[in-house]
Amino acid sequence: MAGYLVAQAVSAATAAAPASGGSAAGAAADAVSAASSLPRSAFGLVLDRAEYGIMVPLVYAALAFLLAALAARLVRILRAPGPPYQLAIYPAPRLPLLAAMRDAFGMPQVLRRAPLFWAFLMMYHVGILALLLGHLDLFPAIRIVPVGSRHMLGAGVAGLMVTISTFYFLGRRFMGETRKISTPGDYFLLLLLLFLFLFGDLMSWGNSWTASGFVMTKKDFAGYFAILAKLSFADPRTVLHGPHYHFIVIHVLLAELFFVVLPFTKVMHAFLALPVEALRRRTWARRSPPANARLAWKKP
Amino acid sequence: MGEAIAARECEARMEEAVNAEARAGALKELFEKKLNSAMRLYLESCARCGLCVESCHVFASMPQTRYTAVGRAEVVRKIFKRYFKLQGRFAPWLGETLEIDDASMDALYDAAFSCTGCRRCMVHCPFGIDTQLVMSIAKALLIGADREPKILTMLADMSIAKGESVEETRADFAQALANLDGEVRALWPASPTPAVPYEVPGSRVLYVALAGSHSIVSAAAIMNAAGESWCLSSFEAVNFAAFLGDSAKAKTIARRILDEAERLGVEEIAVVECGTAFRYLKHMIEHRGFEVVAFVELMDRYLSEGRIRLDPSRLPEKVTYHDPCQLARNSGVIEEPRRVLRALAADFVEMRPNRAENWCCGGGGGLVAMGEEEFRMKSGKVKADQMRATGASVVATACENCHSQLSDLNRHYGLGMRVEFLSHLAARALISPR
Repeated sequence: MAGYLVAQAVSAATAAAPASGGSAAGAAADAVSAASSLPRSAFGLVLDRAEYGIMVPLVYAALAFLLAALAARLVRILRAPGPPYQLAIYPAPRLPLLAAMRDAFGMPQVLRRAPLFWAFLMMYHVGILALLLGHLDLFPAIRIVPVGSRHMLGAGVAGLMVTISTFYFLGRRFMGETRKISTPGDYFLLLLLLFLFLFGDLMSWGNSWTASGFVMTKKDFAGYFAILAKLSFADPRTVLHGPHYHFIVIHVLLAELFFVVLPFTKVMHAFLALPVEALRRRTWARRSPPANARLAWKKP
Repeated sequence: MGEAIAARECEARMEEAVNAEARAGALKELFEKKLNSAMRLYLESCARCGLCVESCHVFASMPQTRYTAVGRAEVVRKIFKRYFKLQGRFAPWLGETLEIDDASMDALYDAAFSCTGCRRCMVHCPFGIDTQLVMSIAKALLIGADREPKILTMLADMSIAKGESVEETRADFAQALANLDGEVRALWPASPTPAVPYEVPGSRVLYVALAGSHSIVSAAAIMNAAGESWCLSSFEAVNFAAFLGDSAKAKTIARRILDEAERLGVEEIAVVECGTAFRYLKHMIEHRGFEVVAFVELMDRYLSEGRIRLDPSRLPEKVTYHDPCQLARNSGVIEEPRRVLRALAADFVEMRPNRAENWCCGGGGGLVAMGEEEFRMKSGKVKADQMRATGASVVATACENCHSQLSDLNRHYGLGMRVEFLSHLAARALISPR
């Protein structure tokens, strides 16, 4: 019954949307809303509920889990006893923190030994950063790209950057020694990311390949993020119209899966890279001659 | 009758299983004790990118995955995942986790004692993961399971026992040192008497040598030529327990030198040409009120202060230098030996690669002490090729382990080179200051 009421509400909202002039979904959205107002099969009702669960409550649950698990893991590392002795590599840099940051963000070790790999790594990490910003930009309080823009930040390029590099990382896993040192977890993680990105691409690019142009725009996605930010628990279909809704649900589901597994995977390096690099760059022992030594030596 | 035998066999198997479980539990506790913050960071951060694969001299000489830094660390990491991560409980297949059993202990041995702890992989790793530190878990587990190389345990115990009986052997040791007087004077005739001062309170420098006069005579001549106020330590610098990975014993061995330095009131401890001994005393144990320097740093300082002079005409051959890993990339003594060599050799040529990137000789991590000649010669092929490529006829170094390994490689691969300690070359080139 509740599912039916939701469907009714969605139908009403989607019918109202074109009138408000907010969406370019046009005929496609109307068709979907019309379809959604039809009596639903049992499967349809279950799907409605499952999709709502994925799109709203599970997002909070996954994020809460991610934050709690991340905090627990980081606290565990921080509360462990310190390193037993100095772990630096020489020559020691004059500014260890700066050197650690250069290692973490510039990856000079990779650039020297595997320039192609480095190029893909940079493309990937810059793309991730752009995607993070692009998603944050969907929240009402943040304004990077104009609200009325059809595209999210990067206009789909950021998604392509991470997708292409993930294909490269996956291919690399099947080659030479990298294949031998890889574990099933490495492949699963890459596949999870790959599909997460592909479904993201489908929305940012595939969206514009439909006959009616962009079915969903940045404004629509921002509407969904506003629902999440306000904790209103409204049905996202009041703002996300069009035939791609199910793909968004899959994208969100994959993102939730990623959030849940992140603290237990090597993606933790995103949070640990700087402290681990600092171990290599920080020196504790004095290297200069002792200040109190009789260095003003005079021949007897 | 048959039933009774079967019951006894069953009982024995159950007892064995209980024992194996108890042993695994004890080793797990041992593992947990080693989980300091650095270790956790290293175990959590590896992305298995494979960039360290070609860093290891063993892999470069014998390309097998188990001889890569990541291959070695993964053995420890898979046990870590099994016992300390949720993945080990719910989806062990994802990380191919390992139980603590005979097979994994064999893998740990293979990993820990095929690694010389040179940390070249750490230079190349995008995260700077220290494989040597990760291997310290493998070594601790092997000790806990009584599966460590017994020769290293024996050498460490002997070293500790020798230190304990130093009072009884003091007179004999002093006599043996007096016998070196002539050898020192042959290198530096103006040496004071005694030429090898022993346990002199108030000396500025406490020189810590190895067993064997080769580690004393040249150093004594150089310090005498520099007019240094020095004396010899009663203890050997070598720390077999550090190779073994027994931190308690390693500290015992190192601390008696620190105690002696405190007792004598010296200002500096100068460590013989032994990379591990130097790194241990310099970086791996608490600091006290004095400096720890490598003997090559002392030589460099004497040269820069004009306290000694070297005659380059005494070494006309082409000379190259092997950076000992523990001295160079792991302790920062990189330019000092080069300045000494340039002062005493007319024709000095660098190995390629060198300094922090230098290939390990393959003798560290206790491998020389353990024998392991076949493995050392195979794994040292890349070093032998590097030595040959210099075209030098003399290879100098500043580490006892490296000297032994390079000498073995020289012989095994027929390089026709001469392997020399830097201090020996310097002592033979000593001339009077202007």
